[in-house]
Amino acid sequence: MRLSVSSAVAVFAAAILLYPLFSGGAWFWTSLGAVLAVLLAGLLGSRLSVPAWAVPLAGLAALWIFLTAVFASGEAWAAVVPTKGSVLELARLLATGWTDIQRFAAPVPANDGITLLTAGGVGLIAIAVDLLAARLRRAALAGLPLLALATVPATILPDPISWPAFIIAALGFTNLLIADGRERVGHWGRAVLVRRTRAAAGPSAGAAAPSSGDGPRERADTGGLRLSGKRIGFAAIALAVLLPAALPAMEPVSFFTFGVGGRGNGKGNTISIADPIANLRGQLDLPERRTVLTYTSSDDRPRYLRMYALDKFDGQQFGMTQPKGAPENRTDNGPLPPPPGLGSAAKVSNVVTNIHISDEIAELSFLPLPYPPRQIRVDGDWRADVDTLMVFSTQDEAAGLEYEVATSEPQPISEQLENLPEAREAVDPRYLRLPDNLPPEIARLAGSITADARSPYEAAVKIQQFFTKDGHFTYDLRTQGHGNSALKDFLLHSRVGFCEQFATSMAVLARLAGIPSRVAIGYTGGTKLGESWTVSTGDSHSWPELYFDGVGWLPFEPTPAGSLGQGSARVPEYTQPRPRSTSSEASTPTPGATGSEDDGALGPQNRRNPRELDREGLVATGGLPPDDSMPLAAKIGIGVAALLLFLLIPAGIRLVTRSRRVRTLGWKVAEPSDELTARVAVTAGHPSVAAAWAELDDVLLDHGMARGPSETPRALARRLAREYAFDADASAAITSIASAVERVLFARDPGRIGPMKQDLRTVRRALAATVPRGRRVRAVLLPPSTLRRLRLMGERLLDGFDLLETIRLRRAAQKGA
Amino acid sequence: MAVTHDVPPQLDELVAAAHRIREAIESVIEGKSDVIRLTLTVLLAEGHLLIEDVPGVGKTMLAKALARSIDCPVRRVQFTPDLLPSDITGVSAYNQQTREFEFKPGPVFANIVVGDEINRASPKTQSALLECMEERQVTVDGVTYELDAPFMVIATQNPIEMEGTYPLPEAQRDRFTARVAMGYPEPTAELEMLDVHGGASPLDKLKPVATTSEVRALIEAVRGVYVSQAVKKYAIDLAVATRHSPDLRLGASPRSTLQLVRAARAHAALAGRDYVIPDDLQDLAVPVLAHRLLPSVEAQGQRRLPEQVVTDLVRRVPVPETRAS
Repeated sequence: MRLSVSSAVAVFAAAILLYPLFSGGAWFWTSLGAVLAVLLAGLLGSRLSVPAWAVPLAGLAALWIFLTAVFASGEAWAAVVPTKGSVLELARLLATGWTDIQRFAAPVPANDGITLLTAGGVGLIAIAVDLLAARLRRAALAGLPLLALATVPATILPDPISWPAFIIAALGFTNLLIADGRERVGHWGRAVLVRRTRAAAGPSAGAAAPSSGDGPRERADTGGLRLSGKRIGFAAIALAVLLPAALPAMEPVSFFTFGVGGRGNGKGNTISIADPIANLRGQLDLPERRTVLTYTSSDDRPRYLRMYALDKFDGQQFGMTQPKGAPENRTDNGPLPPPPGLGSAAKVSNVVTNIHISDEIAELSFLPLPYPPRQIRVDGDWRADVDTLMVFSTQDEAAGLEYEVATSEPQPISEQLENLPEAREAVDPRYLRLPDNLPPEIARLAGSITADARSPYEAAVKIQQFFTKDGHFTYDLRTQGHGNSALKDFLLHSRVGFCEQFATSMAVLARLAGIPSRVAIGYTGGTKLGESWTVSTGDSHSWPELYFDGVGWLPFEPTPAGSLGQGSARVPEYTQPRPRSTSSEASTPTPGATGSEDDGALGPQNRRNPRELDREGLVATGGLPPDDSMPLAAKIGIGVAALLLFLLIPAGIRLVTRSRRVRTLGWKVAEPSDELTARVAVTAGHPSVAAAWAELDDVLLDHGMARGPSETPRALARRLAREYAFDADASAAITSIASAVERVLFARDPGRIGPMKQDLRTVRRALAATVPRGRRVRAVLLPPSTLRRLRLMGERLLDGFDLLETIRLRRAAQKGA
Repeated sequence: MAVTHDVPPQLDELVAAAHRIREAIESVIEGKSDVIRLTLTVLLAEGHLLIEDVPGVGKTMLAKALARSIDCPVRRVQFTPDLLPSDITGVSAYNQQTREFEFKPGPVFANIVVGDEINRASPKTQSALLECMEERQVTVDGVTYELDAPFMVIATQNPIEMEGTYPLPEAQRDRFTARVAMGYPEPTAELEMLDVHGGASPLDKLKPVATTSEVRALIEAVRGVYVSQAVKKYAIDLAVATRHSPDLRLGASPRSTLQLVRAARAHAALAGRDYVIPDDLQDLAVPVLAHRLLPSVEAQGQRRLPEQVVTDLVRRVPVPETRAS
């Protein structure tokens, strides 16, 4: 009886967890009805002594009848008895409910179909719980169906379960466990009572909860058991709610290679990328500009933010090789892999950029980043692709994300680039691969552009110049078509296009000229609004990146900038053709050969000096600022320190208490001046004596020689002096304290009370001398007296719970009467 | 350990007189200072004393020594199975000459009455003591006669396992303030006793060291000893604890609480204190409470004597709130 009711209550309490899934309350009442129907069947089964296996069947039947009555009464016979029509109607509702659930996201509207599904599910769980708890007497196992119910909102909704609902559900289950425990112990006979006085004082508890099922009979008083059960349950629930709030959130750590994507790796999460180029085009075509992200950087200069690097050219357009994100390249594992090709000789400038992605961006799983990122601080599981340094996630989305990235941008000067060696073994050949059917005109064009280039760098500059200047290209978004013909058309005939065409064409021409290239897609630096830079959809951009040994990948900008082109595009400084004639440094001191000699002489120095600087730069400031980025050891250290501080709280409390008492001790030491003062002093109590006595009590407890409850001051003094072999001084001191306490407490006129500070100190020293060092240390660091005080507080809290309990019982008793 | 503060002047005399009486008794009974101290406590608390032990350990000697050392009328009643109540209280006899009934006072009309082997008398006779012990008066043939103060009954009894005894009824036991067991003397004390008692009885040499009026003044001084609320509450706590103890069938009566506090006053005064401390109650709890208690069947089965139960309770019941808040 009690178990059946408790099971129903537990199921219903757990069902409350479902509330965020629905809009509207119809499901609530129907589910309540379903639980009650099952409960009714269970109670009837118990009353009629139906075998245990039959009760769930009865429950099923009751649930069916209930659902028929609610949802298909029109088709049923006498509104409740299921007929063929009603069954069909229910099946139809189930089908619609099922499709609705597939269609809607939570919170779903509580229409008939969904309510039927919910009520039926809750009813089934009620049957399972009743079977386990009330029939099979395995109340703990009944937690499993309840847990299944509770996991539904936890898995569907991204938000955590609200704690009040969790408490209700947990109380329901606790109640079920307690009911089971009482039922069990009820058969033993007399229970071991937790509190004699309470059990004796609370006959109303027994009267309020009689077993109404089987007539009057002797029952064990399980009140005490229930009391302790409730205490444990309350404490467990309170811990379950409070503790997670105090703990840092845990993130999954993968112990296996769980690479993302990758061609050879069939397993693992895959990532699907919407066609970046189509995406780019779509964003540029948007009628209104929407903010994509804002950022601030340490040098307050705009930077291209790259998301994708497209490396495969199939003759029509560039595509992306599936990126690989190995677990060791997670962003929270420290610095990212080194940028490919960037030698230690290259001069770099270290910049830290703070980026905030707008909340409105959907399905963005690549982080827009300035190139090359060295280190990123971001929440979530973000991984870097080693080759391209794209940073992406298979689980998280970038919307609303705020992150910090440190970059080491190469700062090549044109001269340096010109003198670069032409060794390209390190580069993946895919960055040079071109389809065989590339029209020969394009190759000829590339040849003509780069004909008199002395270095790859110069060739690259010439190609860019071809787009921005010599080729007379026009920027226009209204361009159609891809592929070889489109490419040929763009390069040779129409010369009208937007960033995609420019970037693709330049990349192709670069490859033809023997320079490894790829197409980057992302955003330009945007415009400065207030303190930060704002990047909007109109700043979507595509640009080529060319590889030079020693400096790695460098962005180029063939697309026209300004009002007639991509508004916020900027041509990198190093890609400007070098104005030899106007170079002031070269011409100022001495003309001609001397100048070049100077250059040559200065060159190595210049190169060496930056190298040293660079190395320092890379080491010292290459990553994020060290004060922000906290190493694991420091985190652990801080955690340990916090823990230590936490553990020292009792010691602190003890010190405060002691100093307060010692101050009180100094208050009143003199003899009362006259009769009247003496009276007043007695009635007002002797704060100094009280303080001394309380302090002595605590000192004793701290040293593990606590005063027994029946130990009088005099007996205490006797015991201490005898057991710990006090010398004369200490004996006199403890006796004097005991006598003063005795007189203050029990005599009509306590008479003269001497100062006790010194006595107390003597006694404390004498006591400390008798205990081992460990005990002394403990008395200071973890004083039992304070722990006892804290424990008493806790007990008082539990007493509060008990008080609630009696209030409820009283109400029940009144109701019964 | 002596508490170092001055004895109040009004108690000076008391302590000195008590010391004299103690010395006098100790000259007769060696090595029983605790028992003697308790005897004096009961005397000053206006109570009655029950001395219980096997024959021959000096019960009667103690009673007689106390009686001797105070210069007051002392009567001794040897209780036997055929003793009648009138043998104790006295009878009204017809006087031929005056032709009137004349009251012949019994042995209770004295300051100290020594009832020897009280449990040998029939319950009827034992009951004759009830009125005079509690109300300090005797009613014979409808006439009430007041007894002189101080009035103290010192009864001795053999343990009830001995043959031919009637156990004292609970009401009777409750009227005794304290019960004390003499115990066998220490070997050295026994040796000394052999030497001293070899010749003439030292009892004969005992001279009274205090007068009745002195004892009355002492009793008056004891009444003035201060008992704080906390200590009173502690006495009640102890009594209540005996009533709730699962080891006891019959707990301590309110009369016993009263007598406990009275005895504690005397105990404090004998220690030269004009206020009672919980230690006084703790020292007296066993002699004052134990003989009134009836152990439960379980406790009897475990051979737990009421003395042990009371000792346990004293150890468990917390002393009055010693944290002055």
